[in-house]
Amino acid sequence: MQTNLSVSTNGSPELPYRAHLQLNTDLNLLAQVLAWFEQFNQPPVPYSVWLECQLALAEGFTNAVRHAHEDQPTDAPIEIEVTVQRQAIEIRIWDVGAEFDLEQRLSNTPPIEDEAVHGRGLDIIKKIATTLSYSHIGQRNCLLIIKNYE
Amino acid sequence: MVMQASFESIQPNGVLDGTQAIQFRNNVSDLVNKGTKVILVNLKDVTFMDSSGLAAIVIALKTVRSVGGRLCICSINDQVRLLFELTSMTRVFEIFPDQDEFVKTL
Repeated sequence: MQTNLSVSTNGSPELPYRAHLQLNTDLNLLAQVLAWFEQFNQPPVPYSVWLECQLALAEGFTNAVRHAHEDQPTDAPIEIEVTVQRQAIEIRIWDVGAEFDLEQRLSNTPPIEDEAVHGRGLDIIKKIATTLSYSHIGQRNCLLIIKNYE
Repeated sequence: MVMQASFESIQPNGVLDGTQAIQFRNNVSDLVNKGTKVILVNLKDVTFMDSSGLAAIVIALKTVRSVGGRLCICSINDQVRLLFELTSMTRVFEIFPDQDEFVKTL
């Protein structure tokens, strides 16, 4: 865990403020992800935006464990990087799984019924994100969620 | 003679996610199997719920309805409310501010 909270003279953190966290492929680590994300619940991130991003991050992390790393060993790394900008917060979730076409998945999926049981995670992330992408970069995949404050 | 309306409550705590989902569903099934018709899921001690936790409650709702029962929810925090709103669950679940408000409806 890395925390570099530089504080400027007016008491607010200097922007961009960035931190990252590396985890194993383990659903039991969600509580650790949530605890780590508490540090971003402060200005300039509005509480409502922080709450939405907390949920998007949790869904992104569990999706990486369940789907992107379905065939990976427990020690396959998942890295989370969060950057707080003046007008937006950026969440990057890196996995080492196979390439996956997110655009196609999003465009080919029928609307989720009220009482459906599975498949809500990605739908939730899509509703929260201002911008959403999933790219293969080097040897890894990056789920990028950008949420504007307004 | 006055009929006493009865219910059982389930009170999960902490992070309600995929790792707690099976335990939660088993608790509901046990109650249904012993004849409970009305279940209150009291979420006052749940700090965070993800889509897997939500799925467990949806399955529980279906289980209870399949025997003609009723499953209600109370005491949700801001995060759980956000999850319910994003997934339109506010129109699927009966949600009460707290247990007392639920008891008034029995």
